[in-house]
Amino acid sequence: MADAAIHGHEHHKPGFFTRWFMSTNHKDIGILYLFAGGLVGLISVIFTVYMRMELMEPGVQYMCQEGMRLTAAAAGDVCTPNGHIWNVTVTAHGILMMFFVVIPALFGGFGNYFMPLQIGAPDMAFPRMNNLSFWLFIAGTSLAVASLFAPGGGGDLGTGSGVGWVLYPPLSTTAEGGYAMDLAIFAVHLSGASSILGAINMITTFLNMRAPGMTMHKVPLFAWSIFVTAWLVLLALPVLAGAITMLLTDRNFGTTFFSPSGGGDPVLYQHILWFFGHPEVYIIILPAFGIISQVIATFSKKPIFGYLPMVYAMVAIGVLGFVVWAHHMYTAGLSLTQQSYFMLATMVIAVPTGIKVFSWIATMWGGSVEFKTPMLWAFGFLFLFTVGGVTGIVLSQAPVDRAYHDTYYVVAHFHYVMSLGAVFGIFAGVYFWIGKMSGRQYPEWAGKLHFWMMFIGSNLTFFPQHFLGRQGMPRRYIDYPEAFAYWNWFSSIGAFISFASFVFFIGIVVYTLRWGQRVTENNYWNEYADTLEWTLPSPPPEHTFEQLPKREDWDKSHAH
Amino acid sequence: MPYEWIPAPADRQRLHLWPHRSLTQRGFVWFVGGTAALITVPLVGVLGSPVVWALLPFLLGTIWAIWFALRKNGRDRDIVEDLTLSPDHVTLTRHGPKGERQDWEANPYWLRVTLHPTGGPVPNYLTLKGEGREVELGAFLSEEERIALSRDLSERLAALR
Repeated sequence: MADAAIHGHEHHKPGFFTRWFMSTNHKDIGILYLFAGGLVGLISVIFTVYMRMELMEPGVQYMCQEGMRLTAAAAGDVCTPNGHIWNVTVTAHGILMMFFVVIPALFGGFGNYFMPLQIGAPDMAFPRMNNLSFWLFIAGTSLAVASLFAPGGGGDLGTGSGVGWVLYPPLSTTAEGGYAMDLAIFAVHLSGASSILGAINMITTFLNMRAPGMTMHKVPLFAWSIFVTAWLVLLALPVLAGAITMLLTDRNFGTTFFSPSGGGDPVLYQHILWFFGHPEVYIIILPAFGIISQVIATFSKKPIFGYLPMVYAMVAIGVLGFVVWAHHMYTAGLSLTQQSYFMLATMVIAVPTGIKVFSWIATMWGGSVEFKTPMLWAFGFLFLFTVGGVTGIVLSQAPVDRAYHDTYYVVAHFHYVMSLGAVFGIFAGVYFWIGKMSGRQYPEWAGKLHFWMMFIGSNLTFFPQHFLGRQGMPRRYIDYPEAFAYWNWFSSIGAFISFASFVFFIGIVVYTLRWGQRVTENNYWNEYADTLEWTLPSPPPEHTFEQLPKREDWDKSHAH
Repeated sequence: MPYEWIPAPADRQRLHLWPHRSLTQRGFVWFVGGTAALITVPLVGVLGSPVVWALLPFLLGTIWAIWFALRKNGRDRDIVEDLTLSPDHVTLTRHGPKGERQDWEANPYWLRVTLHPTGGPVPNYLTLKGEGREVELGAFLSEEERIALSRDLSERLAALR
């Protein structure tokens, strides 16, 4: 046995490089994920601003074969449309947002930082593997960005690959020469490896390292959301890894998995891709569900309504997410029977999702709602996610989808659910926990201004896109006829306001970290913020819960 | 509670201590089994095509990885401290995660049980001192458990002397 270690328990304080570049500490890695995700998010959002500049008016003004412009072409200037730049920008925006922004921020960032704290674990189960996950993610991001500058299918029109984030063959196999496509595939591979390792770590931590007495039915909802997300990652990402490996071999080694010339089938890729792709939507949104549950309970000053239904709704959403993939493929030639099944199965998801939305509303009902910034973001989330959910029901109908498929209605739908829902979840989490993570609090007025700018901007961006979709405007095009000009102008103005709000947010974070008011209490909200992180100082010490937490610290009589 | 007085011969008392683990064997089987069942769903559509062989290694690799991770984490906590009290002898054996074994023994008459409220790696750190060596006991228990165990152990030793 170990000899007694009295007065011998000193922690070595790491230097800057060791702390941030070789970290195995879950809190530091969480912060690294948040900053890295934020930086990649900025790059990706800049792409969208450029796209919305181009779409603001009919005709092509910025993405010209004569060169990319930052100001509109003057009268008389020649601008030959360069669709390749457009395609590359759309693809990069999709790949970065899907794999390198939202998941790293929500799952990698908040999940790493707060899941172990909420279950009373001293760290992740495999701290060095956690470090590996983070740096694989950085390597993947680097490859994705490098892909933009590598020779692709555009020939003289420019570098990069422009096949869309779904990487459908034959575009991604035979039509796209150059290694930009290979780099993009490798980027997704590394991101997948990073996510799978991260998921294994999260699952092991969650299942095996919960505090004594914290049964599965007593775990806080955010920790539950991270567990369900990790499980979805574990089930879905290997399928994607297999699919894109087949793309690589089809491209480089002469196999024909997805080429009819050798007996393969390009539609098969779509099936496999969407078997991953639909759960991916829930992988993105579930951690936001967890954050919103914590925020709403805290600022309604009530325990969450229907804790167990909330837990099982998340599990049900996860399971159902695996059996609805072909609703993305109604126009790919499915039989009527298949379409009927996927319609029904898709609509069933509205039940657990409805349970969650109604439970959030019921939590607020009769509560003493306090409109602090995180709660505003939670309200925003509820509104946007519900709008996106309702348009999802519309799109789940195969006959209706015939009309809406590949139109801006779909663009509006998935941005409402995924991007706005998830991004509002991220901002709710940042404002909820920034004081805990940094020991400094943001200015309340600034957080509220950020919220209103973003809420107005994002709705102005995406709500008109429903109208454009109904008018029949197809997605993924650099230009459009005059008939679609009206709402596109509004949509672009909204995007600029949203971008301005993001720049303002960066300012808020810098101000808070440098000059924000110091937080002196462990729990600076109220007693309904009752999970274990609120028993710790702000910021928490480097090592937490080296001894098992006391039950009374997390098992409050009013909790859950 | 991760310590237990286990049956022993009449003149002896035997205590087993082990770290808390929240995943039961049954939970492990359910989780890995459920994951394995769900991960095979995409194979149904591609049975009979070469695509199965491209997907299978990734799926099997994932099942192996989560199995290994859960087992490895379990093994890392595979610690048992075995304390035996008898009128003329006290022994403590610690079985570590990789089959390591450490032994300590003392005379119960001179044995000192000390609870260090501060100064140890954990609050209310429990140690046994005898034969010129001080060793820790149940450092992985919760604080309340160490306090209770210290009281219990002191009473049993007093009765033994």
